[in-house]
Amino acid sequence: MNHPLSFLPLVLGAVVAAAPAEASSPPGVLVIAQALDDLVSLDPAEGFELSSVQTFTNVYQRLVQPDPDHPANLLPTLASRWQAEPGGRALDFELTAGARFASGNPLRPEDVVYSLSRAVKLNRAPVFILNELGWNAGNVDQHLSKLDDRHVRLAWDAPVGPALALSILTAPVASIIDAREVLAHAVGEDAGNAWLRSHSAGSGPFKIRRYMPHEALVLDANATAPGGAPRLQTIVIKNVADAATRRLLVAVGDADIARDLGPDQIAALGRDPQLQTLAFPSAMIDYLMFNTTNPDNAALRNPALWEAARWLIDYDGIAAKLLRGEYLVHQAFLAAGFPGALTATPYHLDAAKARSILAAAGLAPGLHITLDVINQPPYGDIAQSLQASFAQAGITLDVVPELAGELYTKVRARSEQAVWLYWVPDYFDANSTASAFAANREDGTKTVAWRAGWRIPGLSAATAAAATETDPAARALDYLAIQREVQQNSPFVIAFQARNEVVVRKNVRGYREGLDADMVYYDRISK
Amino acid sequence: MSSGYGLPLVALARGLLTMLTTLACLLLVTFALSSLSPIDPALRALGDHASAGSYAEMRHRLGLDAPWPQRFARYAGRLLHGDLGVSESTGQPVADDLRHVFPATFELATIAMLVSCALGVALGVLSAWRPGGLLDGVVRIISLAGSSLPAFWLGLVALYVFYARLHWAGGPGRLDDAYEYTLDLDSGFVLLDTWRSGVPGAFANAWAHLALPVLVLAAYAIGQVTRMTRAALLGEAGKEYVTLARAKGAGPGRIILHHLLPNTRGLILTVLALTYASLLEGAVLVETVFAWPGVGRYLTTALFAADTAAILGATLVIGCCFVVINGLTDALVRALDPRLR
Repeated sequence: MNHPLSFLPLVLGAVVAAAPAEASSPPGVLVIAQALDDLVSLDPAEGFELSSVQTFTNVYQRLVQPDPDHPANLLPTLASRWQAEPGGRALDFELTAGARFASGNPLRPEDVVYSLSRAVKLNRAPVFILNELGWNAGNVDQHLSKLDDRHVRLAWDAPVGPALALSILTAPVASIIDAREVLAHAVGEDAGNAWLRSHSAGSGPFKIRRYMPHEALVLDANATAPGGAPRLQTIVIKNVADAATRRLLVAVGDADIARDLGPDQIAALGRDPQLQTLAFPSAMIDYLMFNTTNPDNAALRNPALWEAARWLIDYDGIAAKLLRGEYLVHQAFLAAGFPGALTATPYHLDAAKARSILAAAGLAPGLHITLDVINQPPYGDIAQSLQASFAQAGITLDVVPELAGELYTKVRARSEQAVWLYWVPDYFDANSTASAFAANREDGTKTVAWRAGWRIPGLSAATAAAATETDPAARALDYLAIQREVQQNSPFVIAFQARNEVVVRKNVRGYREGLDADMVYYDRISK
Repeated sequence: MSSGYGLPLVALARGLLTMLTTLACLLLVTFALSSLSPIDPALRALGDHASAGSYAEMRHRLGLDAPWPQRFARYAGRLLHGDLGVSESTGQPVADDLRHVFPATFELATIAMLVSCALGVALGVLSAWRPGGLLDGVVRIISLAGSSLPAFWLGLVALYVFYARLHWAGGPGRLDDAYEYTLDLDSGFVLLDTWRSGVPGAFANAWAHLALPVLVLAAYAIGQVTRMTRAALLGEAGKEYVTLARAKGAGPGRIILHHLLPNTRGLILTVLALTYASLLEGAVLVETVFAWPGVGRYLTTALFAADTAAILGATLVIGCCFVVINGLTDALVRALDPRLR
């Protein structure tokens, strides 16, 4: 009989008989609901997305790492001590005694040499961080050497001081991998890349039990981690692409932590006594950039427009009302919390002042500027606010919302007029951001300043000099001066510093996030 | 009768040729369209901060330095050897990804199809029983609501009411965490795997998680099927043989069940097949709301990332489904309708 109705009792019967779901995550297991769709690779030499670098922090260790509570201090991690060579172009590291990988293999100088050399030779997305030391596939092996069974020397040619070199080595791409374990899984010439994309070979507090691409990542405790075993046995990070669904999961208790929620969802969950909202300042900054190379709009090259724009953003309105806590007003490229960050906020919305600046420069009202923004929250809201405030000075912003990939393609080709963007440092050091915003060497390096077409030979030299400065106090002063110049005279209007808000169940303790994108720590969490 | 042996074979060969040509054209058009994407795949893979050297190497590695017809030829060559390439958004071979995501969608869409087929045809019959009557009005409102309410809204409301408030149904995902990461879900069909595992409660838990996405997905399809069934039945009702049957004293029940349904089953079957095919590829929003790792979400993520290998792989799978479903429907309609033989 092929009558369709014959299936009905089977289906309905099964649905009715189905057991109701348990509304709590399993004991000893922490369930995190977040978006994981960005995750491409769990190989630390390759992964460069938020979800992957945050995993590296919990699965791998580096020679030195920022203190989670005071990131300006470096903590000995896989290296117990280090010393700069007299010329300032090499560092000798002593490896931590007794450190072992999750596999049980002891840490050897060969692992350090292999990890860094492999990352450079593999040449994937995050390699540019190591390239700053002058390392490339052809020369890296000459710069890395085993001194004895406990010591390794890392040398470089680039004009980089030892302090900056150490900061570069705290980047996720400088994670130390278990060379023997990885090589055992290598296929052909891939240096274990295919295997490491979904497995781990590190010494961090956790190891990867299972990774189902774009579905879930399951981490198990590494009981022999050199920094001590974590408090929880298992962490399940689930890919829940929809924010409203993440909200439901944490409200019901099937997730212990929900990340990437919008201000409305956070406000609604704030009334639930079973939940608490944690807020962590992030190093992400949001800024408006004028592309001075655009041939269609001469006004973009006029410093008066840049100056007027600084008075045409409703900083407080956006931070306090529109995005309710997701952003703090911050007007310099180094996020508050970085050594040398400029925290002064001299600009506020003042349309009359902007109008007079424009009039004095002969920029007539009726100016049209195309503004490209990413078509995701909160950028649409920010763009609308900008449209309204710029209109007060007679400037019409034609907003073009588009996919992030599309927008970056345009910006890289310098074909946009103005763009609202965010910036996240690649490692915890002022140079990561300064060398992007305040350096345009015009040698083919496509820094953020190059994208804006901002010609700054003097400032570029100052930024390069700050990178080699060895005295931390003098270095911080250098960066203050550089930030002031960018704040007052650049085609960038830096407006906000982001604040990550995370909703956790009341019984969850010890969740920490640091300023940099990779600084998410699961090892001290208990529930 | 030599033609009696030869004809089905020729028809089969012709059918296969049509199928392969259709798929080849589908791939060609998809490839051409994805090469027009304003997203630079190399930039997507490398991120915004990469150096010019890495960028050039990535373009070379992705084969983007060649013109697209040449790239398509290369892709087609690999495809003939069964190699679908590696996805740039998951980092995994596309074939592995599809083996994982397709069963999730297939399970969801098939059960939703069975539900909507049963309910849709039944509602269509009820509606056609007395056109313009009260029942007809109610059914028409239900079917209109089903096909016009946005799936993500319906999904969220269903989750809020039946999962978060009443705890009647499972939450997002295919299983509770207690089962999801301990069971061996190797076939990708969660009902089959939980049944085979023998773990108490796992099979029921799989159903508890399927119930809401199935019903939300079916709500849309029920609307379509109901309206088409009603229209087909009413279209047939004006014909002479129906008038004759009525003149001979047949009641509406007998007329619908014994005369109209058998005569419209070809049309209804075609509608069901098209609905099924659309469920297989169109479950993106339901899959997103319910965190269902299916082919719709896979394709969407790939599209946003300009991940050509994944887009083509998923298109190929969905294309094959369309072709197979259409082929089977044609054969079934032919078998059921003597006029077409």
